[in-house]
Amino acid sequence: MSSRNQQTRGKPPAGPSIIADYRLLPGVPDEMIDPSGAIRPGWDKLMAAFDALGPSELAARVERADQYLRDAGVFYRKYDGAEGKERAWPLAHIPLLIDEADWVQISSGLTQRAELLEAIVADIYGNNTLVQEGLLPPELIAQNSEFLRPLVGIRPVSGHYLHFCAFELGRGPDGSWWVLGDRTQAPSGAGFALENRVATTRALSEIYASLNINRLAGFFRGFRDALFNQAQRDGGRVGILTPGQLNETYFEHAYIARYLGLMLLEGEDLVVEDGKVMVRTVAGLKPVSVLWRRLDASFADPLELRYDSHIGTPGMVEALRAGSISMINALGTGIMETRALAAFMPRLCKHLLGTGLELPEIATWWCGQGAEREFVLDNFDQLMIGPAFSTQLPFDDLRGTALGASMTAEQKAELKSRIANDGGAYVGQEPVRLSTAPVYVDGKLEPRPITLRVYAARTEEGWTIMPGGFARVGSTTDTTALAMQRGGQAADVWVLSSKPVEQVSLLPREGEKLVRNAPGNLPSRAADNLIWLGRYAERCEASVRILRAYNARLAELSKPDLPILTHCAALLETLDVDAAEAMPQGLLASIDSAVHSAGQIRDRFSPDGWLALTDLQKTAQRFAARIDTGDDATRAMTVLLRKLAGFSGLVHENMYRFAGWRFLELGRRLERAIQMARVTAWLSAPDAPDGSVEMLLEIGDSVMSHRRRYSVTAGALSAVDLLVLDPLNPRSVLFQLAELRDQIEALPGGIDDEQLSPAAKLALEIHTDLVIAEASDMTPVRLDRLADDVGMLSSLIAAAYFT
Amino acid sequence: MLYDIRLALEYDYDAPVHGGRHHIRVAPANVPGLQRVIASSLAIEPAPARQSGFLDFFGNSVTAITMTEPHDKLTIRLTARVQIEEFSPPADLSPPLAQLCREIGQYWSVASTSPQHFLAASSRVQMVPAITDYARAVAADAPTTLGVATALCMAIHRDFKYDPKATDVETRPAEAFELRKGVCQDFAHVMIAGLRGLGIPAGYVSGFLRTNPPEGQARLEGADAMHAWVRAWCGQHLGWVEFDPTNAMIAGPDHISIGHGRDYSDISPIVGVLRTHGSHETKQSVDVLRVE
Repeated sequence: MSSRNQQTRGKPPAGPSIIADYRLLPGVPDEMIDPSGAIRPGWDKLMAAFDALGPSELAARVERADQYLRDAGVFYRKYDGAEGKERAWPLAHIPLLIDEADWVQISSGLTQRAELLEAIVADIYGNNTLVQEGLLPPELIAQNSEFLRPLVGIRPVSGHYLHFCAFELGRGPDGSWWVLGDRTQAPSGAGFALENRVATTRALSEIYASLNINRLAGFFRGFRDALFNQAQRDGGRVGILTPGQLNETYFEHAYIARYLGLMLLEGEDLVVEDGKVMVRTVAGLKPVSVLWRRLDASFADPLELRYDSHIGTPGMVEALRAGSISMINALGTGIMETRALAAFMPRLCKHLLGTGLELPEIATWWCGQGAEREFVLDNFDQLMIGPAFSTQLPFDDLRGTALGASMTAEQKAELKSRIANDGGAYVGQEPVRLSTAPVYVDGKLEPRPITLRVYAARTEEGWTIMPGGFARVGSTTDTTALAMQRGGQAADVWVLSSKPVEQVSLLPREGEKLVRNAPGNLPSRAADNLIWLGRYAERCEASVRILRAYNARLAELSKPDLPILTHCAALLETLDVDAAEAMPQGLLASIDSAVHSAGQIRDRFSPDGWLALTDLQKTAQRFAARIDTGDDATRAMTVLLRKLAGFSGLVHENMYRFAGWRFLELGRRLERAIQMARVTAWLSAPDAPDGSVEMLLEIGDSVMSHRRRYSVTAGALSAVDLLVLDPLNPRSVLFQLAELRDQIEALPGGIDDEQLSPAAKLALEIHTDLVIAEASDMTPVRLDRLADDVGMLSSLIAAAYFT
Repeated sequence: MLYDIRLALEYDYDAPVHGGRHHIRVAPANVPGLQRVIASSLAIEPAPARQSGFLDFFGNSVTAITMTEPHDKLTIRLTARVQIEEFSPPADLSPPLAQLCREIGQYWSVASTSPQHFLAASSRVQMVPAITDYARAVAADAPTTLGVATALCMAIHRDFKYDPKATDVETRPAEAFELRKGVCQDFAHVMIAGLRGLGIPAGYVSGFLRTNPPEGQARLEGADAMHAWVRAWCGQHLGWVEFDPTNAMIAGPDHISIGHGRDYSDISPIVGVLRTHGSHETKQSVDVLRVE
């Protein structure tokens, strides 16, 4: 027995600890190692646990976290160039540990800061005493594109402008935490913080359990309860207002909507009637009273804000004036992100709260003031110079902000002259240096600079701070804050507690009233997408079945001009599918359309269903590059058919039988009825070539049933009977109509006062006609008319529920 | 002086429109000491499902309408009678341009009347260095702020050609400046850009012009449509003064104002969001007749 084999059994050997190789950057504070060189509390346990796992197991754990994120479909959209691309979420695998004392200081400081921001923004959109008393320069407001004039004087119904804020923090060289920026417009990332937590604990479950780490669920629960309580008082629904699936953080909007049980809404889902915001649902217009906005305010209303916005709701500002809707956060609060405001915060804090800032922020000089301008010009090389009205964090601002010393002589001269002439447009800021924390790189730990993003939410009891968040980890060892602009990763943040932590989840607590969302919460746009998803998936299946039948015969007969093959190719053409292509573009387009429709309703989808669908898409694209017609294509279609069945099965077995499922089901049944009628008409025609009936039975997946039921050789009549009129064959047209009739009657308004809706009436008519029909009645002409009638049914559904 | 104003705005849609919302700013304003509205009424066809009114940030009166029935035509008719008070051109009490900045700096206010709102670029008026240079050159000899604004107003009239075909409602000031052509909206935007470039707070005024000139005087340019001109803040003593670069004059008894803002987008006659697929055609007719 070799020594190598012995090593892999049982406990790994006591090799050198993983921190043995961890080399601090000179003069830079580190989160894990204190200035004396000792490992900080909490980190020691984490490192010991890593050592106990051993290098290969640790690597496997890291891979497990990544696997989780891939499986969950966590991605964000990155804009670099003309088109956005979906990127995997860049998880840094080692969590950042923060001890209790630090956390107490951070949460108290951020609570104070949230209150301060609220007081300032209330004054800006209210009485404007801060400007009149000389505490805020009027230029910073009047010349600010985030100052939204139509909102001036509108008091929020909730009484507050800010409800959800984020803060970017960094630890300076003196060891204390600094505020690098405030996010008040539509802070993103809270959902990613949750996903980071899930992924990290998947990998490090026993370590997580052994340390007392604060849970995140309680924070979300408190905020959700606040939203629902506000909505209950105002008698409407709660929604997340998203710019749509092209937004870089759309995944997160869908994730939070699903996690907290909120409606995911786009501007076009909403309509303002008589000053009230209503959502278009399949059950008609329903009131909305709270919107958690993930859309920049100026896009919210094309009538009064940005006229060119296509993602807003006309009349939204009118609804705010009428006091019928709560915006989380109020429109216009983005002004608090203005960089130059930082210069005034210490003074405003004294004035408004009667005390100093608990957490310092980056020293900032606004060049609109004489003395400050002189200071910036005199200390130009040592300062970060940037636009005063920027709302980007200094390290997100790739073009606008740079360290004076890093500029060429020419750039310096030009910028200095611009500051001298138009100082109000510029700020100088102290360049911040950050602390480092360990990241896992190729089996080793290396120090990288970090910033910390923390969230604050307003609840019934006031502000609460999420005990966690995420840390941005730099991609290089450069610890100037500016270097963070070059990408990097995100790490989970573990806030340590000295006491055991309470286990919280979003499930109702014992004795708590179970709040169930009422049916009729399905927005029309979502229902429309669900129908189309069902139709495209079914259309893919029809194409794939026909293609398989075609290619199997092609492989066998290898003469593409045989009558049965040209007849089948012509049938495929009616589906925009070219039989000459092994993986036809038309089929790929249908798959893409299905994915696109599904992408718009991510909040209604299980991650598994989504994964099955994107897997189908990837597989088809891979096939397209390498298969030939004939045998190859026959096998490829069999694979696709299996994947389609997987998708349908996941959806069918796992989706809650609510209006959403019903629309998906309608889409499937409509398309299957139409395709089955058309294919039968085509292949049962009297002039169809030899072999058509066998092909029809094969496409209809009914060869065995036919043999069992008719015990004769395939005749056109018996095939038509089985595929059109048999009530027990799940592929027959009649079967689809029976399902359609039941589902349509169960829709909102399907039967009203014993009156059938027009769609329900038509479904009943078509169904009844089929029940009494004989196979010999089902001529190709009649079958084509049947397909048209089902198409009309689809239009009636659209007219009733999507307009 | 008493005027009767009649305005008709007609929108013909290619395809029927299924509902829509509009904000309308066409009614003449009450301006204490200068302009008094005796009667004013708005008729909209087809009748909107809902109609309401409010004052916007700059104090302009807005009529908000909601259409719910399908329609292929929308007509908005205004009839109004307005009294314009006697008017004497302002005496030049304005500070030299170099001192204006200090006077603006004393305005610690962001109330809607504050000049602070009218200094920076706005959605339709970008800062254009070429226009600033032009403004500086044509006003080089003017000793006061009022003088600078007057010189720029005269220069635009002299150097630009009135040409309704050269530009449209979306034309940016930089383009109109390049062409040296346009209509009242373009001239106003160019002048605003020039004034702001020199540090003079400047805004956009929308209104009407008297249609027929007094005996023996030429008809004013732009009198057959809605008109636009400029207001400039000329220091604490003088305050806001209105200039009409299209007609090379200080706005006077022949100018009847609807309202003002930073540029056209703050005070456009109609802002609308429609549910339609086609485009539309617009017709506008204006009559401003002196009564008595």
